[in-house]
Amino acid sequence: MTSICFYFQVHQPFRIRNYSFFDIGTNNPYEDDIKNEEILHKVSDKCYLKTNQKMLELIKRHEGKFKISYSISGTAMEQFEKYRPDVLQSFIDLANTGCVEFLAETYSHSLSFVYSKKEFVRQVKKHGKMIKKYFNQEPKIFRNTELIYNNELAVFLEGMGYQGVVCEGVDRLLNGRSPNFVYKPQGADKTKLLLKNHLLSDDIAFRFSDRGWKEFPLTADKFSTWAHAVAGQGETINLFMDYETFGEHQWESTGIFNFLDHLPAQILKHPDFDFKTPSEVIASYPARDTYDAHNFISWADTERDLSAWLSNSMQHEALKQIYSLEDTVKACGNNEILKIWERLQTSDHFYYMCTKFWNDGDVHKYFSPFESPYDAYMYYMNVFSDLECKLRDMIEKIQPITVQQPNQINLEFPGDAQALGIVIGNIEHAMVEENNSKSSQLAVA
Amino acid sequence: MEENLPKVLMLGWEFPPIINGGLGVACHDLSSAMSKFADITMVVPKSSLDFKTGKVKLVGANNMDLGALPNYSLTTKMPFNLHSIPVDLDPYYTSSSTGENVSADFFNGNKNGLKAGQFDIENLYGGDVIKKVVQFSDIAAAYASTVDFDVIHAHDWMTMIAGMKIKEQTGKPLVMHIHSLEVDRSGPQSKGWVYDLEKKGMESADMLMPVSNFTAENIHQYYGISKNKMSVIHNGSVTVPSYKGKKTFKEKTVLFVGRLTRQKGPERFLDIAARVLEKDPNVRFVMAGTGDYFKSMLEQSSYRHIGNRFHMTGFLNSEKLRQLFSITDVYCMPSVSEPFGLSAVEAAQFGIPCVISKQSGVSEVLKGALTFDHWDVNKAADHILSLINDSVFREKIVADAYQNLDNITWDISAQKIMRSYSSYNFIQ
Repeated sequence: MTSICFYFQVHQPFRIRNYSFFDIGTNNPYEDDIKNEEILHKVSDKCYLKTNQKMLELIKRHEGKFKISYSISGTAMEQFEKYRPDVLQSFIDLANTGCVEFLAETYSHSLSFVYSKKEFVRQVKKHGKMIKKYFNQEPKIFRNTELIYNNELAVFLEGMGYQGVVCEGVDRLLNGRSPNFVYKPQGADKTKLLLKNHLLSDDIAFRFSDRGWKEFPLTADKFSTWAHAVAGQGETINLFMDYETFGEHQWESTGIFNFLDHLPAQILKHPDFDFKTPSEVIASYPARDTYDAHNFISWADTERDLSAWLSNSMQHEALKQIYSLEDTVKACGNNEILKIWERLQTSDHFYYMCTKFWNDGDVHKYFSPFESPYDAYMYYMNVFSDLECKLRDMIEKIQPITVQQPNQINLEFPGDAQALGIVIGNIEHAMVEENNSKSSQLAVA
Repeated sequence: MEENLPKVLMLGWEFPPIINGGLGVACHDLSSAMSKFADITMVVPKSSLDFKTGKVKLVGANNMDLGALPNYSLTTKMPFNLHSIPVDLDPYYTSSSTGENVSADFFNGNKNGLKAGQFDIENLYGGDVIKKVVQFSDIAAAYASTVDFDVIHAHDWMTMIAGMKIKEQTGKPLVMHIHSLEVDRSGPQSKGWVYDLEKKGMESADMLMPVSNFTAENIHQYYGISKNKMSVIHNGSVTVPSYKGKKTFKEKTVLFVGRLTRQKGPERFLDIAARVLEKDPNVRFVMAGTGDYFKSMLEQSSYRHIGNRFHMTGFLNSEKLRQLFSITDVYCMPSVSEPFGLSAVEAAQFGIPCVISKQSGVSEVLKGALTFDHWDVNKAADHILSLINDSVFREKIVADAYQNLDNITWDISAQKIMRSYSSYNFIQ
């Protein structure tokens, strides 16, 4: 038996606006609400709603034989809640068919595993709660942001109780082996790995409408022939891609929906083929070999590593700075600040700062709301600076600087009534703040 | 025009509202001040018809009917030994420069078009700038034959060919006002056609008016021209409406304003920032302007991990720039070679203490400013730290600079120019 395992990534970031130096210290918003709403409507209409409807139709038509899985980031879910509840409902409808699995990921589609395990755990748990709330599932399979993966992640996730991880089938690590089997991570005992078949996945996601491609046009029949060729030589063909492939990256006019419509029937024509969700694949097939990813891999760019987010000094600086705030953010105990910080961790912000060019740069540019990677960095750091200011103000209120006795102050500023007034005023203010924060801390406790 | 006033034919390149940098502003302010003592006709490549500037008669080549000029003919060969190649040159880089290419019509292709029509110039710099310069000289010379004047007063290299041509044609004395040199912009080793043109132009001039002793020294040192025919005319300054803005954050602000090019020392500013931040993290460094160092500045500041204290604003309009001045604690001008540096005077008007490089003309008149050799990062950092941490010292520096401002006016510059004209017997 060979299974086709579909996993689709659904993600939208909260893009920040052209936040200038003059915005620092004001209460101006960080995010570009107008642009975010506009993009969400556009992608919802062109992709999410249409594709969800098609998926629902296919699941019904094939009476449960067509199965798929999704990973939906928390930031995307929040935007559905805010702007497009109809899209959210269509995902819930899909969940109710019993043929759709939802995977675990970091809530804000972040690089937290690379920078802070503590934050990683918090975000994964938060995301899990959200999936439970809307889809009534407890994710068993994990996918990290943009399939960022290494051995350590698998071991760590095993400790968290996950049964499997999806990751990229990187040619240099497979070293001639096939991605069409379940693998075992180096160093983990129970967790299993599903490796993306990047050739077949990218035939749909990237090459489908490429007129320069010798296989153009791609039909469901042709694609199924390729898949069927795996029979007897593989147990699972993992087709992982951005969900926006349907209708957004590949426009409707390319015939992508028509392709999707015919694909399940064509695949199922072969008696030894079926569709399985990631959990079912892991339950059905044993791990045939070990996949050893000592260094980080991902599904991004031709390098398939972290370089899309971490290849220049601006990206390193921005990431280092944002994670340096973790303890302070968590100490101030303000949920609004925590949410802002969480959203600023979204990997897209750093992706926009990437200066690699050629083919990958095109993709970065396509997604970026900014004119250049330099603008992306400049505005991000202004936002960061403002958050830093806000945090400091909050912390100072919680832990005021040691309060001196007012009469000591009097002695230091003899004769200058105005200065005296201001100083005493400040101290009184600080003392009142201190009392307030003490009482609020008590209330929290 | 008043008959008894001396008549000056000025040749400029930039003029408000069409400006790229300080030259346009200086030409405007200077000619306005001089118009009290002389009849000024200012010829520029491009003027805006609805822009009025007091008593100065502004003539834009773009608004002339070239067909009506009696002696206008199109030069088809380059003057002197200059050869032209079609190359995109932009000595005053700004990110908004589009690298416009001069079309064939501009010079060769449409022979009748230009003669009968108007001088069509989209951008003052960029594209085939030397063709624009030569074209302008033809038009200015033709125009000059229709008017009466006592002195030709040309500003910088773009107008030098025009100046020389008019001198040859009329025998009137030629004064060259030097606001900036190729050796400032491209370094002392720079040699090239702009340098050659400057050298030739300054040699042919009857008098040079560099904007500072610093520039006079450079002209002498790098162009081999005697100081005997120079009269230093320091720039003045127009009083800008200054105010104290409300800063929205607690850190002190150190400001850099200028084109981000080698000449202005942006990398030095970054070095200074890094050094200051080692001692005191509660400072924000702000770089206003754009140029070919823009990307490099972002990369270098992030590499040094001061990304949260080093802010770039990109190009700012004058209103935003004033807003920035209004919240600035220290102004820093680390220029490698700055003929004058008007922005330091503006900073002083805002009551901002200035830390400026000794390699600047403004340090000769803004004596209250703290100075450093442009390579001396430690000294600049020490100055900034003292100003930030010692309020008494800071107030003294501000007060000293403020006193200097009385002597930095365009009226003083204009009077000195008139005196220089007289002493050379250019005017009665």
